[in-house]
Amino acid sequence: MVKKFINDRITRLLQIKALKLSFTLILSVLYFQPAFSQESSPGDIPSDEASIAAGKATFQELCTVCHAVDKRVVGPALMNVYERRDLPWIISFVKNSQKVISSGDPYAVALYNEYNKTQMSNFDYLSDEEIINIVAYIKHETDNPATPQAAASEDAAAGGAEAVEQGGIPSQYLTAILAGLLVILVIILGVLMLIISVLTKYLKDKKDLDEESQELVAQKLDFGKFFTSSGFLGLMIFLFAAVAFKSVIDGLYTVGVQQNYEPTQPIAFSHALHAGEYEIDCNYCHTGVMKSKNANIPSANICMNCHGQILTESPEIAKIYKALDYDKRTQTYGPNQKPIEWVRIHNLPDLAYFNHSQHVKVGGIECQTCHGEIQEMTVVKQHANLTMGWCIDCHRQTDVNTVGNKYYDQLVELHEASNKNQLKVKDIGGLECSKCHY
Amino acid sequence: MFIYNRLHFIVGLIGITLLTSCGAGVNDPGKEYSPNMYHAVPYEPLKQIKDVNAGNWVSSLDNGEGEYFSSNPINPDSMNMREPVPNTVRRSKKGFLPYRVPKDSISWAAANLKNPLDSTQVVIADGKVLYDKFCAHCHGTNGKGDGKVGKVYQGVPSYTSRPVKDYSEGHIFHVITHGIRRMGAHGSQLSIEERWKIVRYVQKLQNQ
Repeated sequence: MVKKFINDRITRLLQIKALKLSFTLILSVLYFQPAFSQESSPGDIPSDEASIAAGKATFQELCTVCHAVDKRVVGPALMNVYERRDLPWIISFVKNSQKVISSGDPYAVALYNEYNKTQMSNFDYLSDEEIINIVAYIKHETDNPATPQAAASEDAAAGGAEAVEQGGIPSQYLTAILAGLLVILVIILGVLMLIISVLTKYLKDKKDLDEESQELVAQKLDFGKFFTSSGFLGLMIFLFAAVAFKSVIDGLYTVGVQQNYEPTQPIAFSHALHAGEYEIDCNYCHTGVMKSKNANIPSANICMNCHGQILTESPEIAKIYKALDYDKRTQTYGPNQKPIEWVRIHNLPDLAYFNHSQHVKVGGIECQTCHGEIQEMTVVKQHANLTMGWCIDCHRQTDVNTVGNKYYDQLVELHEASNKNQLKVKDIGGLECSKCHY
Repeated sequence: MFIYNRLHFIVGLIGITLLTSCGAGVNDPGKEYSPNMYHAVPYEPLKQIKDVNAGNWVSSLDNGEGEYFSSNPINPDSMNMREPVPNTVRRSKKGFLPYRVPKDSISWAAANLKNPLDSTQVVIADGKVLYDKFCAHCHGTNGKGDGKVGKVYQGVPSYTSRPVKDYSEGHIFHVITHGIRRMGAHGSQLSIEERWKIVRYVQKLQNQ
């Protein structure tokens, strides 16, 4: 093994030397006269359409991954690159940037350090002509920048369409209308009361009424009597007892049920962003979900797969760096690492056994079935109540996927002989006590 | 008699209020019904209570620790989990040995590693499932580097672009394991067998 390594290294070194030699030869043949005068002149760069088109194709195939003409992406913006550096330098850097850097070229070294020591891939399979064509395309783009007006008008058109699509009554108007209606109702009530009092007064003054009518006019609402009447009291006691009973039952049902538990986590990780907007599969971070009892809380090295490179300035990401004792300038890990103390949300009691792989891999259940719309949760909340009734309900209703699994063949046959329904989880022991409690 | 009745009423009210506050809140997991049956006696890997006095009121332990205290004070940071001993060899059904070729020996890996799995329909199908879970958000479902994360992350090449198209299986396996340039190392998330399955599927995408 070691010998092979050494052999490999030696051959690699020889290859590099050979490349170097051939490279200098090619360069001296191609660019002996114009290019070796350290100042580059734009005259070297072709401006015919064929070269630009060829350059554009190569640029889009290979370069756009890390570069843009007008803005810094992973690597620097390439606008005016032919004025900053001469063609031979560009060609040798594109072909093997590491070689240029290790040769001690100050510009290359400065560039390497400015971009956090990110290596550019070697494009040694590109011919000089192809690289020159790319530069021709970059020059064409530099001289004829994409007009920002066109983009702006497109945006405006899109915005207009959006505005038209918005219809219906906005909610703030709806509240105003409701409040207005309420005021009108109160006014009507007042007016009616006024009419009643005026009418009673008028009737009292009249002398030619019979006894029955006089009694009716003299009648007054006796609130005290009404509240102490046995009918009213009985109704109130009944209502109170019913509400009290319901709250007691509801209260008892919440003991030991942690539904809607939504604790603040030490790092404000958003599932809505990662799983929702960027559609990263749950399994990418929760590596145990297909293999083990636990889905697993991802270790910080999984965060670092992306956040070693992106969003490195965020205060939340800084917490990961601190836990890992990570220095983002040198990109190295220190010895003082501390665990991140995430707050566990789903606390199944120790008296019940639950296995993720059994449900997710074998049962083919989506994460959302039990955990709710995780991809929309900024802070994770316990969606299901995780009671035994909830488990059993699902075991009663869920069909077993027996297709293509010889294990079930005879079982299905036996089941169908005595039962018309499809084989459910309850038929293969999903209601057995000892499946989950032992 | 009247006061006695009132007392009943008030006690009832307090009882109801107490009961309704047993449920979970935003930062409160709520009350437990039979905590002694809820908390595990052995150390649990992903659940631990660091408060030594938790469950003192029911504790039957002689060492003065609470009944629900479940952290291991011997381990660093009182963690229940520990990293495997260095040079641990993981058991696997197909007997894969750990991949210990260092990150900078990529050219050796590219030239010498061979995929132990044949390019069968089953292997490629498994590889696709794994690829969609572990790779597609950056590299795109067709390997064009246009996944939702890839577009923001930047620097993700297409599998069909010139250098990438010809990368050998050993190169792909080594890159999945250790990462390269901006890509992180995925050796901790995927077993050796899973990585080789993905390699088969990536090779299919290289030649599409």
